[in-house]
Amino acid sequence: MPEKQTPFRPSVEKRRILLIDDEVINQEILQMMLADTYEVLPALTGKEALEILHEQYETLNLVLLDLNLPDKHGLEVLWEIRNDSRYARIPVIVMTADSDAEVECLTLGAIDFIPKPYPRQEVVLARVRRTIELSEDRDILHWTERDRLTGLYNKDFFCRYAVQLDARHRDYPTDAILLNVNHFHMINERYGRKAGDELLREIGQKALEYVEEAGGITCRSEADTFLIYCPSRENYSSLLEKVSVPMPGSGNGQGENRVRIRMGVYAGVDKALDVERRFDRAKIAADTVKGNFTKAIGIYDDSMHETELMQEQLIEDFQAALREKQFEVFFQPKFDVRGEEPKLCSAEALVRWRHPKLGMVSPGIFIPLFENNGLIFRLDSYVWAEAAGKIREWKEKHSIALPVSVNVSRVDLYEPKLIEMMQEICFKSGIGNEELLLEITESAYTGDSGQIVEKVGKLREIGFRIEMDDFGSGYSSLNMLSTLPIDALKLDMYFIRNAFKEKQDTRLLEMMIRLAETFRVPVIAEGVETAEQAAALKSMGCDIIQGYYFSRPLPGADFESFMLEHNPNH
Amino acid sequence: MTIEELKAYGADTDAGLQRCMNNENFYLRLVKMIPGDDNFRKLKEALEGGNLDAAFEAAHALKGSSGNLALTPIYAPVNEMTDLLRARTQTDYTEGLKAVLDARDRLQAICGE
Repeated sequence: MPEKQTPFRPSVEKRRILLIDDEVINQEILQMMLADTYEVLPALTGKEALEILHEQYETLNLVLLDLNLPDKHGLEVLWEIRNDSRYARIPVIVMTADSDAEVECLTLGAIDFIPKPYPRQEVVLARVRRTIELSEDRDILHWTERDRLTGLYNKDFFCRYAVQLDARHRDYPTDAILLNVNHFHMINERYGRKAGDELLREIGQKALEYVEEAGGITCRSEADTFLIYCPSRENYSSLLEKVSVPMPGSGNGQGENRVRIRMGVYAGVDKALDVERRFDRAKIAADTVKGNFTKAIGIYDDSMHETELMQEQLIEDFQAALREKQFEVFFQPKFDVRGEEPKLCSAEALVRWRHPKLGMVSPGIFIPLFENNGLIFRLDSYVWAEAAGKIREWKEKHSIALPVSVNVSRVDLYEPKLIEMMQEICFKSGIGNEELLLEITESAYTGDSGQIVEKVGKLREIGFRIEMDDFGSGYSSLNMLSTLPIDALKLDMYFIRNAFKEKQDTRLLEMMIRLAETFRVPVIAEGVETAEQAAALKSMGCDIIQGYYFSRPLPGADFESFMLEHNPNH
Repeated sequence: MTIEELKAYGADTDAGLQRCMNNENFYLRLVKMIPGDDNFRKLKEALEGGNLDAAFEAAHALKGSSGNLALTPIYAPVNEMTDLLRARTQTDYTEGLKAVLDARDRLQAICGE
């Protein structure tokens, strides 16, 4: 137990004052005035004062400074306090009878004065209290508006200041710039979190140097992303050069050892747009050079604007499209080629959007878009339900039980209601869980794999069968692959296209199939276009084939006819 | 020593006491420290030796403490001297110094009782 009960709340803690005065009488009087409200640390010389500062600066709230000290002039002490970043937040009140010195003290950063002879206690206390309050408020503001790691503004305040700049410079052309570190997570993994943080601090420092010189403001908006809002200029290669600091531990950082940063520029911003939207555009521009090794700066242009407008429209139209059943589910048959004759064994459900104004919209456009804004789960659920409905319908009408595979986006795997939703769909349609095959892309398992693997495992436990899609594209380690809960592997289309190009080279494809076989699950090839390809794949050991060779994806009714012609039950 | 005696001596005891939160004992204790202040000696020696820098330091210090305790008989002459010394004025300080030291001696006499 502490001897004396000390308060443990910032609001009631006694503030601490360093009182620097060599005159005992002055010390005594001020201490008397302050003692009830504050904890006073007396220093009789400049040297003593700096020692106390050095040891206790973290808990000091104010310095009261007399200008005449035996060892050094008070102005020197003031200068030393103001120019040491550790002490700089502590306000200084100068005590002097000399009005000439006041101007100099103010220039050096004193915040207020207490004249000599001292005014009455109330006046001294009021000045001390106000000064401490002001500095604490300033401190709070600093920590609220700043990003802890880099000391730059945080995004909220950055946006506020951007609006203020606009208000003062209405017709001034300005640019929104976004900087993003390529593969930052790899840097963190390889060099450790500390080195990664240090790298971000350095980049932030360079960005700050840039705006201090060229005008503008900067912030760190999230992990490895920095924003700059500045007066327009022709060329940003010097900025890119500046922020491309050396990689951790690479010494002088010549050539290859610099961090790779991609930059997006939205030049001459439309000030009618929200600040955030302007930087969305800078991000779109930056994303166009993602993975591009020859180009690091993307400039927002009209075509990106068109795309943006198009995407906005698609998002806006999504609800109505669901309601009006504009999303159509097509089916592409899959054939089991292990026997003498290929046998229809399943179908993949593929979604198409018949947009009332835009016509057929490619899933290549709307699926990534909906994955990015969280609509994908609703779209996928719709497709799952449609597919489940068809399975049931075919059973009832034709007594044909044909399982259908559906796509499950990696984004869906983070949806807490996924399993519940899947079960509900199968239950409502009256089909078994095992009749819905779930295609999950290999890359879904990389990154945050633990949680995903667990989720997929649960789906499998309750009867769903899992097909790994795009096998070979996800850079998974073999070790991880062997532990995954899967029932079939679907080769990435790339291997098939590549193997049957003009100059046929099937070695890589064969290798992938052999690799797939080690998992002892059926191997599926998609995108198969000709009889030769089908025959070659069969001879290599492929079990199931899907592609134009058998049929393009068909609307529900057409697929039904196709299915009757290739009735798997016969 | 009493407040009345100090008042008779010429101190502005109301102002001095107010600065000491009207704590008489505290005020008198501080006043008693004044005659022994080493700056009187320093001031005398500096002026005799013609060292105006050191004289200014000492005068300035005396001005601060006598001012805070409102000891007008010391404060008034020392204040005048401080202003002259701040500009390093070459002049005859004998009279001023005498006034300061006399005022100290008279205060010492009251304190001693």
